[in-house]
Amino acid sequence: MAGSEKAPITLSVEQAHVVYRPDLDRTSSLRDFVLGRRGPRASEIHAVNGVSLEMRAGDLLGVIGSNGSGKSSLMRAIAGLIPLESGRIRARSIPTLLGVGAVLQPRLSGRRNIMIGGLALGLSKATVDEKFDEIVDFAGLREFIDLPMRAYSSGMRARLLFSISTVVQPDLLLVDEALAVGDASFKQRSQNRLQDMAGHAGTVIMVSHRLRIIRETCSRVIWLDKGTIRMDGDPDMVVTDYEHFAESQDDPRTHP
Amino acid sequence: MTAGEGTNAADSWLIDVSADATSRQYIRDLWRLREFLTEVPRSELRARNMNTVLGNLWYLLSPILQVGVYFLVFGKLLDVSRGLNNFLGFLTLGVFLFRFSQQATMAGARSLTSNESLIRSIRFPRAALPISAVSAEVIALVPALVVALMMALLSGETITWTWLLLIPYTALLVMFTMGVSFVAARLNETFRDIQQILPIMFRLLFYLSGILYSVERFSEPDALGKLPPEWVLSLADYFPLNPWYSLTTLAKSAVLAEVSAPPEIWISAIAWAFGALVFGFIFFKRGERRYGRV
Repeated sequence: MAGSEKAPITLSVEQAHVVYRPDLDRTSSLRDFVLGRRGPRASEIHAVNGVSLEMRAGDLLGVIGSNGSGKSSLMRAIAGLIPLESGRIRARSIPTLLGVGAVLQPRLSGRRNIMIGGLALGLSKATVDEKFDEIVDFAGLREFIDLPMRAYSSGMRARLLFSISTVVQPDLLLVDEALAVGDASFKQRSQNRLQDMAGHAGTVIMVSHRLRIIRETCSRVIWLDKGTIRMDGDPDMVVTDYEHFAESQDDPRTHP
Repeated sequence: MTAGEGTNAADSWLIDVSADATSRQYIRDLWRLREFLTEVPRSELRARNMNTVLGNLWYLLSPILQVGVYFLVFGKLLDVSRGLNNFLGFLTLGVFLFRFSQQATMAGARSLTSNESLIRSIRFPRAALPISAVSAEVIALVPALVVALMMALLSGETITWTWLLLIPYTALLVMFTMGVSFVAARLNETFRDIQQILPIMFRLLFYLSGILYSVERFSEPDALGKLPPEWVLSLADYFPLNPWYSLTTLAKSAVLAEVSAPPEIWISAIAWAFGALVFGFIFFKRGERRYGRV
């Protein structure tokens, strides 16, 4: 299950930096823009600070770290959703990101969202139609599928998104806390699916606070702290060190 | 991770996720999304009339009723139709084409802002969104044009081979509208005011595009009786500058015997169609990375 030395490189992150500049990004009214009001100055957030990483087919990487350590920003940058300040990210194919709170189109039904999401991911209409039942049943949403998505709980939305994105095994999957939703049976199903993917020479990166799952599922773990990689290696080693660090900080945010 | 592992030959197969796509890659990515581009507009149209009693009949009924109102008010009540033999045919075709351009542009303007969640979750060429929006309106235009052609026949036009030219002429209008939609989509993403400004802009353009009247009336010297002669003489000459005027007039010339398309019309139409599309696409693509940013 772990990628062999000879397995092809599927992801190469080279000195990636992500910087947010909230004041420049939001001039949502013409009036503010014309009057020169651009919001409070000098707020720059250096979310990802020089991260380098290489992954091969079959790797299942865990990413852990406290809130604000840059995990989500790194994932979004790898998925190509936000630009880099500097550095480069190269991948075998466009990675699929499963993020928290990513709702597709709230006004539309789950059914139509499956169609739109599937097509936007590049699947053919035939594939989406063919896999429709599989998607709905994996997410456990059979009775709700024709209701608008804004009627779904956040857990339901996350399950549907996971289901759509993984029904056709993507080569590169980034999972941001998406396993934290659903009942025990869904959690087991999704964990199995991820391990399955890695077993079929896919590459998976998992961001989670659930250290037990990380320990169990991943072949390698990275500890991200304030935008840089603090530790990188064997899951047991890294998770243990992180737990010690967190305890010493009285960090209530870790779940054993 | 062992340092100095060396790069595989497979390395050269890696795509640069962090860089902006070149125009060629971008268009290729759009082509790969062709199923999205054909299916989403269709399902959008199906969804629109889902809760109505008359359903898809509204695509015909709505423009017909509009034309009815304009005809009554401007044709009979105010009688601006002087100079035109076939006011009904003239009005119908003009209204349908202009309406298409207006609705497609507004749908394009909303296409990014109403799909924010999709943009934040999946990476794909965002141009797919305004393209889908405009495509939906193109599909809705087809039955309307059929109605307009029937109206033209009923009001006295004869079918000639030039009617076929309606297709390429409409295509030019679609190209132009697509370009404007690209610009509107990107601008609206930053300045939501665009959604308020556009309807007003189109109202003004509607009255300035020779849809309710023939521009001929302005080619007589002193037609308004108040302006200096040199001004009035050339008032009709200013109209071809308005792309909505040139494009709709060009289309009308294919079907209506009394509408002609002198060089200034078709040059203006072609220039605007290609110019707007190219400029709009580039303008839109330049902003690609910023769409959906929190």
